[in-house]
Amino acid sequence: MKIVVAYKWAPNPQDATVGAAGAVDWSRAKPAISEYDPVAVELARELADATGGEVIGLTAGAKGVDATMARKAALSRRFDRAVIVADDSLQGAGSTELAAVLAAAVRHIGDVDLVITGDSSVDVGGKMVPTVLAGQLGWPAVAEVSAVTGGAGSVRVERAIAGGTQVLEISGPAVLAASTDAAVPRLPGMKDILAATKKPVQTLTVAELGVPATGSTVTVKGTSRPDLKARKGQMIDAKDPAAAAAELVAALRGTGAL
Amino acid sequence: MTVNTWIVVAGDPAIGDLIDTARSLGGEVTAAVVGPRPVADTVAAGGVDKVIWFGEPGDAPVEAYATAVADAIAAAPGVVLGSGGPGGRVLLGAAAARLQAPALTGASSVSLDGADVVVKRSVFGGIAEETVAVSGPVVLVLDGGSVPAATGSAPVEEIASVPLGMTVVQTKPSEFEEVDLGAAVRVVGIGRGLKTKKDLALIDGLAGASDAEVACSRPLAEGMDWLGKDRYIGVSGQNISPELYFAIGISGQLQHMVGVRGAKTIVAINSDPNAPVFTEADYGLVGDLYQIVPALTDALK
Repeated sequence: MKIVVAYKWAPNPQDATVGAAGAVDWSRAKPAISEYDPVAVELARELADATGGEVIGLTAGAKGVDATMARKAALSRRFDRAVIVADDSLQGAGSTELAAVLAAAVRHIGDVDLVITGDSSVDVGGKMVPTVLAGQLGWPAVAEVSAVTGGAGSVRVERAIAGGTQVLEISGPAVLAASTDAAVPRLPGMKDILAATKKPVQTLTVAELGVPATGSTVTVKGTSRPDLKARKGQMIDAKDPAAAAAELVAALRGTGAL
Repeated sequence: MTVNTWIVVAGDPAIGDLIDTARSLGGEVTAAVVGPRPVADTVAAGGVDKVIWFGEPGDAPVEAYATAVADAIAAAPGVVLGSGGPGGRVLLGAAAARLQAPALTGASSVSLDGADVVVKRSVFGGIAEETVAVSGPVVLVLDGGSVPAATGSAPVEEIASVPLGMTVVQTKPSEFEEVDLGAAVRVVGIGRGLKTKKDLALIDGLAGASDAEVACSRPLAEGMDWLGKDRYIGVSGQNISPELYFAIGISGQLQHMVGVRGAKTIVAINSDPNAPVFTEADYGLVGDLYQIVPALTDALK
């Protein structure tokens, strides 16, 4: 079974700052393998090991995704090999453009049975890349997948729905977005980090892949800090919990919150 | 200028807000409905101009209609709206792929500037807002809102479609009681400051005394499994706007606070005076939640 895990090399917005003029400053936010992607790797590895398959890491982005650090971080995860589309034209690419490139790379890899992704990326967090990717390939997609079994051509997946879970049977290749807790990822050890340099990597450019043209033009008019509600910021001394509770309840009743 | 709009319905007719947004763009509003016939009928009565229905799904999940929905939309592209549940995202993703159109999430406003669709949206986990102008088709992933009241009766056209090869073989109820946090007037949120699962009784006590629903930060619902996933507030969980929110034992990381910024009043209780939650609170109490919560529960009785 040939499983592709689409991962992202991305910074955490928690470490970014937004200036008064609205510009996002990423300089102190170091990129890493996106938060939930190791869950997808683990899910893929378990399935591949059970079926005697291969796990291929796939990423697309600006040149930084092929930097030494990025390669090492990815390949010390439990991939057998990696395919990296490193192209500066992908700087700031939207979900649809990124998904189109990933889909072209999946076709380029060939005979892929399953694409597994994490729940969402740490920086954009739109949860749309896996579903647009499936659309580009014309494959079924399922999100919030908590378990997957089966083999090439037919898989059984469990996914969360409102009020419970559902088991689906899917025939043919598919794209699955793992739930955030679908598997417990292993942290790479020294052995994994050393082995990373020996794993095969294929690098590709967008031009080599034949990616469809975008159907729309998106122009960013500006960014700004979010309009946050002004908060009272009133601290209540809680040394005496009962007195503090009484003061809080009185204040909340006074404003109609209670 | 007006723009024609598609509303993608993934089995759930709670699309009141989508209809409002579509109407504000002025053009014809067509709903692409996946799900049983009553869903199509509810949507048809809810104020759209036309419904395209893909037939009885039987044991096919909504995702099985992704290609059929994309095909229907591609025949008359425009602005595509849909809600962001897992099934909805799959249908919208297929439409975005077919149109090679951007799929934008987190929009707070959608308007027209000539033929361009102007979208103001929250980006990068809520740290910034971005305004973009899209020329050409666009897919917008929004909150659906509530089920629209019956105000009209649009025609329902059934389209014969072949679902993708996927079937539902089993449905299992969750071990947790379902909750609609979005509808709660008051919410008590608990975080990692709570030491054990059985201490949730303390939080339930406060929720009972203040007529509130219990919610949590991510670790308690994912990983620790103390509460159901539908109770987790944050950037990838629930986004709520209650009258009153208690953030208890929650440090106030951005990923959580994004989900409660719409709350009218925020009360923070935390033992760490430097916890970021206090910078976004109306009332802050620094101390041990194990002492403050029972005192608060008593004061409310």
